[in-house]
Amino acid sequence: MMILHLAFKNIIGNGWRSLVNVLILSIVLIAMVWMQAMYYSWIKVAEKQHVAWEYGSGMFRVSSYDPFDAFSWDSSFAPIPQAFKQQIEYGKVVPILMTPATIYPAGRMMPAVVKGIPNQQSLLSFPSGGFVSENPFAIPAMIGTSMAKNARLKVGDVFTVRIKDSSGAFNALDIEIVKILSIPVPSVDIGTLWVDLSSLQEIKALPDAASYLILADKSQNTMEAPGFRLIPKDEYFADLYQIRESERAQEYIMYSLLLFLAMIAVFDSQALAVFKRRREIGTLSALGLTKNKIALLFTTEGVLYMVFAAISTAVLGMPIFWYFTKFGYRLPSGYEDFGMPGFSEPIYFSYPITIIMGTLMFLLALTAIVSWLPTRKIASLKPTDALRGKVR
Amino acid sequence: MNKLLCALLLLVAVHLSAQKPSASDILKAVDKNMSSGSSISSTRMVVHSQRASRTVASTNYGQGNDKFYSEYTSPPRDKGTKMLKLGTDLWIFDPNTDRTVQISGNMLKQSVMGSDLSYEDFMEESKLFEDYSATIQKESSYDGRECWVLCLIAKRNDVSYYKRIIYVDKQRNVSLYEEWYAKSGKLMKTIKASDVQRIQNRWYPRKIVFKDQLKAGKGTEYYIDEIKFDVSIPKHIFSKAILK
Repeated sequence: MMILHLAFKNIIGNGWRSLVNVLILSIVLIAMVWMQAMYYSWIKVAEKQHVAWEYGSGMFRVSSYDPFDAFSWDSSFAPIPQAFKQQIEYGKVVPILMTPATIYPAGRMMPAVVKGIPNQQSLLSFPSGGFVSENPFAIPAMIGTSMAKNARLKVGDVFTVRIKDSSGAFNALDIEIVKILSIPVPSVDIGTLWVDLSSLQEIKALPDAASYLILADKSQNTMEAPGFRLIPKDEYFADLYQIRESERAQEYIMYSLLLFLAMIAVFDSQALAVFKRRREIGTLSALGLTKNKIALLFTTEGVLYMVFAAISTAVLGMPIFWYFTKFGYRLPSGYEDFGMPGFSEPIYFSYPITIIMGTLMFLLALTAIVSWLPTRKIASLKPTDALRGKVR
Repeated sequence: MNKLLCALLLLVAVHLSAQKPSASDILKAVDKNMSSGSSISSTRMVVHSQRASRTVASTNYGQGNDKFYSEYTSPPRDKGTKMLKLGTDLWIFDPNTDRTVQISGNMLKQSVMGSDLSYEDFMEESKLFEDYSATIQKESSYDGRECWVLCLIAKRNDVSYYKRIIYVDKQRNVSLYEEWYAKSGKLMKTIKASDVQRIQNRWYPRKIVFKDQLKAGKGTEYYIDEIKFDVSIPKHIFSKAILK
């Protein structure tokens, strides 16, 4: 207690030097919390967007479909299992049919994927009843903003799409873009045209077939679905988590740099303190304090810097943290073209207490170590030399 | 007198019907003329883009309908590119990256060297008679030649183009003009053949113009500079080992 009291007094007595140390540590702490919250919130936002636009509460995918095997795409369909038909009627399951296609916007030839979704559904974020066109000769279609940009398409554009039906015969039909949606999930947007499920089933000559089934409720995961395979959340989000892992490497480099700068500041001031306060060390030693206790005093001073920095972070960082929670963080323009989920909309921050506390504890431990290192010199000091201001 | 006139008309009709071949016979004749056991050819493909045209030359080896190997000889940028088709599989070797890629899925829908042909079209393999039921629509003149105009309807569901209209040169059994339709009835491709010459024991077009009707542009011209039919081709040509 005496050491804590003494350390506190010393820090206050150090004046502006202590303030600078606390500020540096506080800035580092704010930056680390901000970065961690950003990555954490980005993943959460991306997950939420995937759930809203593609995954629902679960997904059954046709067994033959492999997103990484282009050979499987042409035959990625199966009859909708009987057990799901009533659920589809009640809007508890959304069937989606997909097919590779070639589109010809303004005479340009482009590969695309056409996906069929029921016109009336509220499980996914597509506008229900949106497939409406006044053109009786064209199939109404919706696309995302990325697709619109890449294919240079706008609402009202009519172009031909070429699709092979289930037997392998070409079918070619006119498509009209009736809506351009702001779709934040690249796999739902890029290179994809959305049409009414029944229209696509007719074109493909596949009545009653689907490529995947989106579930409204997790309890439906246990349903029997012959020809389909349940896609667990971990498998569905594997790509996203992999991206997160690769980003984590960059994140650690940034942390290391920030920590290095902060710890240099702490180490430097501690080393200087040991040198400048040798008379004080001698006096404390003469008064009966063991060398270990003196080292503990200096280490406590270092740790107190971090405690003050944590308090300062709460005060100084609060407006910043609140701002990003309220208004979100929008990545600079152009990032949405990277094809990464969660990049096209503002990321509203949330601050997971476990991560923040973990960071704080780690920093406290690191500061304690860095503060203790220069105090090893004290062990070699003779009290008489210290009193005379001598350092070997 | 009337009986005599009727008998004469009947005789003329019988004579005419005896001269007019059936649509199936015409198709068989076209197939016989256009396909061969094997062939080696040197060709040029002229691809017209919006700004410029470029010519891609190649040496090609074909055996039956399901084996095909092609090596690009010019322009320098594409020289050494190899394409091998074995049945329903298609591989491309790119000398710039020294890698072989199997063309599949959406890649099959991409254009071959920017032409009006997609890899998917390239994969088509059939004899008309096997895939289509034909009816003679009319007799017409095309490019100064007397032609049968046939309407072909796919016999099976898995035939790529549901309907074709073809103009067959009556004397040479060469299809001079073709229209390929989708199931919806939309015209998808036209093919014009010209410069028909006698090569070995058959009539064969030296120039073919492919036009994707859904795509803007002037189409793709295909010139057959040299072709030899029913020649012996070493087995290694149609193996994946050649793609390096």
